[in-house]
Amino acid sequence: MSGPLPLGIPAIDEVLRGGLLPGALHEIAAPGEPHIAAAAGFALGLAGHDGKRRTVFWIVEEIAIAENGAPHGAGLYAFGLAPERLVMVSVAHRRDLLWAMEEALRSRAVGVVFGEMRGGRIDEVAVRRLSLAAADSGALAFLLRATPPSDASTAATRWIVGAVPSVISQCPGAPRFVAHLVRNRYGPLGSWILEWSDSDERFILATHAQPVAAPALNRSHRQVA
Amino acid sequence: MLSLWLRRLSTDRIARLHKVSPPFRNAGRGERALVVTGRRGNAEVLTAINDSAERLGLAPGFALAQARAMHPGIDAAPEDAGADAALLESIADWCLRYTPLVACDSPDGLLLDISGCAHLYGGERELVADLSGRLEDAGFAYSLAIAGTIGAAWAAARYGEPASYAGGEELALLALLAPLPLSALRLPPATVAGLARVGLKRIGDIVDLPRAPLTARFGSEVLRQLDRALSYEQEPLTPRLPVAPYVAEQRFPEPIARKEDVLAITARLARRLQFALERRGDGARRIELTLFRADGVVRRIAAGTSRPLRNPDDIRALFVERLAALCDAFDPGFGFDMARLSVIVAEPCPSEQIGIVGGEDAAELCRLVDRLSARLDARRVRRLTAQDSHIPELAEAVLPAQVVNGDAGWNAFRQYREQANLPPRPLRLLARPEPIEAVAEVPDGPPLRFRWRRALHEVIAAEGPERIEGAWWSEHGGPARDYFRVEDKSGLRFWLFRAGLYRDLAQGAAAPSWFLHGTFA
Repeated sequence: MSGPLPLGIPAIDEVLRGGLLPGALHEIAAPGEPHIAAAAGFALGLAGHDGKRRTVFWIVEEIAIAENGAPHGAGLYAFGLAPERLVMVSVAHRRDLLWAMEEALRSRAVGVVFGEMRGGRIDEVAVRRLSLAAADSGALAFLLRATPPSDASTAATRWIVGAVPSVISQCPGAPRFVAHLVRNRYGPLGSWILEWSDSDERFILATHAQPVAAPALNRSHRQVA
Repeated sequence: MLSLWLRRLSTDRIARLHKVSPPFRNAGRGERALVVTGRRGNAEVLTAINDSAERLGLAPGFALAQARAMHPGIDAAPEDAGADAALLESIADWCLRYTPLVACDSPDGLLLDISGCAHLYGGERELVADLSGRLEDAGFAYSLAIAGTIGAAWAAARYGEPASYAGGEELALLALLAPLPLSALRLPPATVAGLARVGLKRIGDIVDLPRAPLTARFGSEVLRQLDRALSYEQEPLTPRLPVAPYVAEQRFPEPIARKEDVLAITARLARRLQFALERRGDGARRIELTLFRADGVVRRIAAGTSRPLRNPDDIRALFVERLAALCDAFDPGFGFDMARLSVIVAEPCPSEQIGIVGGEDAAELCRLVDRLSARLDARRVRRLTAQDSHIPELAEAVLPAQVVNGDAGWNAFRQYREQANLPPRPLRLLARPEPIEAVAEVPDGPPLRFRWRRALHEVIAAEGPERIEGAWWSEHGGPARDYFRVEDKSGLRFWLFRAGLYRDLAQGAAAPSWFLHGTFA
């Protein structure tokens, strides 16, 4: 099994002990249904670090597609995923979602598996099974949730990711995310504001769009005094 | 050719429905008279009757009122052509146990091409004995005949001696047909009546007549049917189901009911198919497992594959998922007494190469896709394909992953994207654009604020417009759209468009309206 996949941001890589762990389940939740696209984008950005270019499975509940739209091939390029690598599976029941995720994770041909669900609870045992399946094959597993979960997590990490305003100069700028790491099996937690850099196809740590404090006044006259 | 005539199909169906085996059964004197009625013109007439009603002197075509006046005790049921047809189809399915070539001969007959199949039962007589025994057990009145041609078998089943048999030779056919009435030739009643007026009543009467005057007077149909019955002219049989190129089957002395047994037998049949497939260099793309239940119900379970398959383990794995998906619908009842595995669609398949890394991965992926498709339905496991359209909702199609291979148009899309410098596209596209209430600058400014799904979004930045013309060559093409990429106060990004242009208002176009089509990360 390969080692952790570094994000290229020292602050986060240090917290994660070197980067995102493959062969493990990572939960990524949106703070609310409108932010699901941002959470999905964040997960795609992280998944792009799986360099082996294997097939990506996106398994999603039908109702989530009806509510939030289906992944759009032309838009996937922005996060470094070629649409021909993607297999989409829509399922009618949560039971099928977990089954399909596990099947996909157990296959050697699959590099990344996204499972997307709307709100609600998920069976702890099922999550544990997913973690084990991912550990067996070394695939990267993401569980996307439309609302912040209240249940305890057995995943390797749990993030709550939403959109935040970008740096605006007339047009909307590069997408920005606020990522709260709320569970980390291997170390401390943290919150960061990240920006997706289209040219490098990776996240960079963003500075605030608006200055946090007023700029310091020129106090040279005081030094004189 | 075996022609089977279920002469009491409608009444047998009703008798089976009521599960009152003794009284309505055709056998025995004790059954009650049952008639099926339907509206013909303005009158309620009998369309089908059972044996005891016939003994009372009733016949199809009688008015119901008249029949009731003669015999107040008869039972009457309304006709149901749909149910009769469905029953005939299920009997046709059941007859697949004898031969893959079964055709429905509506409204109440079946044709079975048993050439080359009868020896599996030990001969034609044994096959007929098996078929008759099972039909009697199921409570159907029938008569059947075997003859060299469809026409002769049809005629003999309906007008000949019970279970008559004739080979394909001309003389045998002639001897069989000569004493039968002309209506046995599948001619319209008007033609038969016309022939009867000139004294021609039996098939033997017209065999030796000069052909030209007969055709001139009664049309070409008479001689065509005669030629077909006497094998002078070929008559094709149209089987109800496509005939599978590869079939393996197994009968059991004792019915099997457990899923494990069904899977074991599937693997064994698949192993038998493997040899046949290998010899011709084919692989299976669609496989069907047909299970014949002891009580006559037939289960057909099909599974598709994403690449030509001939490995028995892979085939078994498909049916593991199919049976798991069926859950309770897989109802073995008292067990299955026969199983058949047929390859419905076969494709050339290169010989297996083992040990090449890329190939192994691709095969593994196919296996996974097949398994998911078998369990969830092939339409749920899909790949994105780029289509040749500039209208966003038509630019991509999701197709079953089992049928998509290659780059699915994305290489062409990449080229186009670079050449046209395509503006960003949303990560998620709604199934259809949703109308929103928007406040925007007239005529072509971006929206300032809009309401989508009851939530108000304050736009702080917008990029656009990107104009996408509607399909102007089509009546239903829709108006031009101006797309904007907007960001609201909380950082959410949307793909909105205004359908219609203000400048077209003067020409009588509808007022522009706003829609939300997708969301960006």
